[in-house]
Amino acid sequence: MRILELKGVNKSFGGLKAVENFSLGMEEGEILGLIGPNGAGKSTVFNCIAGVYPPTGGEIYFKGENITRQKPWDLCRKGLARTFQIVKPFSSRTVLYNVTVGAFATTDKRAEAERRALEVLRHLHIDDIKDVRAGNLTIAHRKRLEIARALATQPKLLLLDEVMAGLRPTEVDEMVKIIKELRENGATIFVIEHIMRAIMALSDRVAVLHFGVKIAEGTPKEVASDERVIKAYLGEEYGAA
Amino acid sequence: MMPVTGGLPTGVRQRPQLEGWMLFILEDTINGILMGSIYGLAALGLTVIFGVLKVINFAHGSLLMVGMYVAYWAVILTGLHPYLALVIVVPVMFLFGYFLQDIIIKPIFKAEKDVREPITVIIVTTGVWYILDNLSLLVFGPQYRNIQDNPLRGKMLEVVGMLLSVPKLWGFFAALLTAVAIYWFFQKTRTGRAIRATSLDREAASLQGINQYKVYNLAVGIGTAVAGIAGVSLVPFYNIFPSVGVLFDIKCFIIVVLGGLGSIGGALLGGMIIGVVESVGAQFMAATWTEAIVYGLFLVFLFLKPSGLFGVKYEW
Amino acid sequence: MGRNTIRIAPLLLAGVIALGLPLAVRSATYLHILVLLYLYAYLTTSWNLVGGFAGVLPLGHAAFVGIGAYTSTVLSLQYGISPWIGMIIGGILATIVGVIIGLPTFKMRGAYFALATIAFAEGIRVMVENIDNLGPFRLNGPRGLQIPPLKTGFLNFMFATKEPYYYIILFMLAGVLLLTYAISRSKLGHYLVAGGEEPEAAMALGVNVARAKLIAMAISSFLTAFAGTFWAQFTLFIHPKSVMSLDISFEIAFIALIGGRGSIAGPVLGALLLRPVSDLSRIYFGAKLPGLHLIIFGVVLILVMLYQPRGLQEPLTRAYRSITKKLFGHTEAA
Repeated sequence: MRILELKGVNKSFGGLKAVENFSLGMEEGEILGLIGPNGAGKSTVFNCIAGVYPPTGGEIYFKGENITRQKPWDLCRKGLARTFQIVKPFSSRTVLYNVTVGAFATTDKRAEAERRALEVLRHLHIDDIKDVRAGNLTIAHRKRLEIARALATQPKLLLLDEVMAGLRPTEVDEMVKIIKELRENGATIFVIEHIMRAIMALSDRVAVLHFGVKIAEGTPKEVASDERVIKAYLGEEYGAA
Repeated sequence: MMPVTGGLPTGVRQRPQLEGWMLFILEDTINGILMGSIYGLAALGLTVIFGVLKVINFAHGSLLMVGMYVAYWAVILTGLHPYLALVIVVPVMFLFGYFLQDIIIKPIFKAEKDVREPITVIIVTTGVWYILDNLSLLVFGPQYRNIQDNPLRGKMLEVVGMLLSVPKLWGFFAALLTAVAIYWFFQKTRTGRAIRATSLDREAASLQGINQYKVYNLAVGIGTAVAGIAGVSLVPFYNIFPSVGVLFDIKCFIIVVLGGLGSIGGALLGGMIIGVVESVGAQFMAATWTEAIVYGLFLVFLFLKPSGLFGVKYEW
Repeated sequence: MGRNTIRIAPLLLAGVIALGLPLAVRSATYLHILVLLYLYAYLTTSWNLVGGFAGVLPLGHAAFVGIGAYTSTVLSLQYGISPWIGMIIGGILATIVGVIIGLPTFKMRGAYFALATIAFAEGIRVMVENIDNLGPFRLNGPRGLQIPPLKTGFLNFMFATKEPYYYIILFMLAGVLLLTYAISRSKLGHYLVAGGEEPEAAMALGVNVARAKLIAMAISSFLTAFAGTFWAQFTLFIHPKSVMSLDISFEIAFIALIGGRGSIAGPVLGALLLRPVSDLSRIYFGAKLPGLHLIIFGVVLILVMLYQPRGLQEPLTRAYRSITKKLFGHTEAA
């Protein structure tokens, strides 16, 4: 059974078709990348999966269960976590507090939640800033906090929405390492990314979205040399034979 | 703060030959529409401010109260016909609103630039409401005032066997004219379009060279001036006292929710609905019960159709 | 000096002072003022559970005060039920009303919620003002209900002097502060903060934001109703304007906001700072300048919102910390 299955997902906003007939499957333990030009509909796909809004059509299955209309908090309890493209830390609280909120997803006791939060922070190498106010963090640290929070909920499937945006090349490499480590520890990861080198280094498979339609799917190498993908990113003139 | 049960004049009226409860109801409905259009006028100011600034100004009722006092004093001191007092009231109210925004609210906007619905502004405008109401209590005293011998007071117009209130009729036309003027201003004039541009997209507008803070000042100034016009319409027949704004404040919000935030036609229509409910309801139950019904309507609408009759669904 | 000692010392000191105050203050007037001070501190702290931690702006809490006051009074006047039991029943009623109000309104944010609470509160007040009898219960409309000061005693919640009232409200205040502290450290507290600051992120982390707010509202309205019963028993006369008015709702909210909503000390600090202003201005200026204290409140509120949006507790706590640092040096804990 695939851990995630999208069948013919459509999402329209009023008259605008953001995602059209999108089908995709994910196996447990893989890292799947979703790329596409700006406005292609990538975040919309994530939002549909994560329950922010229901798709206008189609179905979504998580671990075999139909989750098409379920709410984000219920999905989180079932093991589906996500980060946001524009990070949303609880700015007035410390890093530890932020992650503790996530840890409460699987426990009711504060001591235990805090303990797990600390563990996650250590994992991501940001336990040294645990008492810093989240609003005072650098963008790199904020991105890691975003992931840490989601991790604290002990997800089976992690949706990462452009976690590399705004990072310097060295930070990007660090982040790639962290994500790979997460997979080694049993997580399945669905990544939206813009930074090509990261996606190609990270993903087992890649899907390409263009104007809401999936135009390619395969290994990074296959996709990179796919003519339609090249045209989509660089324009008609580059679609060489 | 006392609830307002209204300064509606009651008295013995001569009824001509055309009898029947249908006429009663029609008369009440029409008077309700007239009164409601004045409510709509009051709400128009609020909807303009909201449409542009995307903030709810809780002090709007108090601005209306200020407008009524300004109109009152203008008439008492100059002996002018109430509607001629507009010449004084409109500029005074415009400036009042302009500087209120500039001095008190602008700093908060600057501090909370990206917050979509700055709660702090709500809190601050609530503070302004409190200050204005109690200041006027202090300065003017709690007594009810009205302009007894103004040319419009108590006058009735007989139309097809129905008695229509003349001051409310004046108010009705004032409301229509103001609504048209506002519409024309925002659609046809350059400044109006600049304001609309800013309300749609602050950053894009500022890139075009439009100073957004000046736009906000203007919008609040205009909204307050409209409240002033509503005040003038009320002064010929309504009692004036420090907390008169409270019930109007709530009614204005109800109207704006009913009619849709930012919609001019919606404000007028919403006002008329409230006016009719009050007017017809007053025949069957005590005035304070109609008050409760208005609250109830508000809550019902809030839950079922927060975008109102005409409004755009604002993403809350 | 350990970190915890620095935090707890002032609280212990305040507690000791509070317990001993009635022995030093003999005047009934001043005791009365103190009782009202604690009452408002209690009210604002209860309000804070929704208005501070949940991050919304309820402006109609007086409705719950009224429900508490009327429930216990009617039950004791008509059926001889002890006001303590009436207090609990009032609390339950208030909780039900609070949840009914909260269910649809917590989905909307900001201004719509505030407006809805005002509409509810005023609607309830208008209804109580207009009906003399609600079924078998005598509410007496605008004339209000008077509690005859007959038998004194704990069971009747009736005392001849102010001291017992003082200790009861002090106890209630301590209780509600402890509860707030416990909630702030609990899962509910974390969820409320998260939902208040970034609801989308919170939802993605498993927080059912609307439900958390509803729970906070239920607790808050329950506790607020207790204050209503206390008020009724303390002043022995209630009518809609005295227990349910918009003025009370606003004063509670203003004090909490000025003191600093979302913090535990904020509402109490706000009450400590502002109630004396209210009482003093009423005593000295009452007749000549009515409503002066409300103007002062409004001005202070605006100034605080402009310069210290997190409330006055922030600079005060910082000042306290720097003073203790200077006196006692850096603490051992981090």
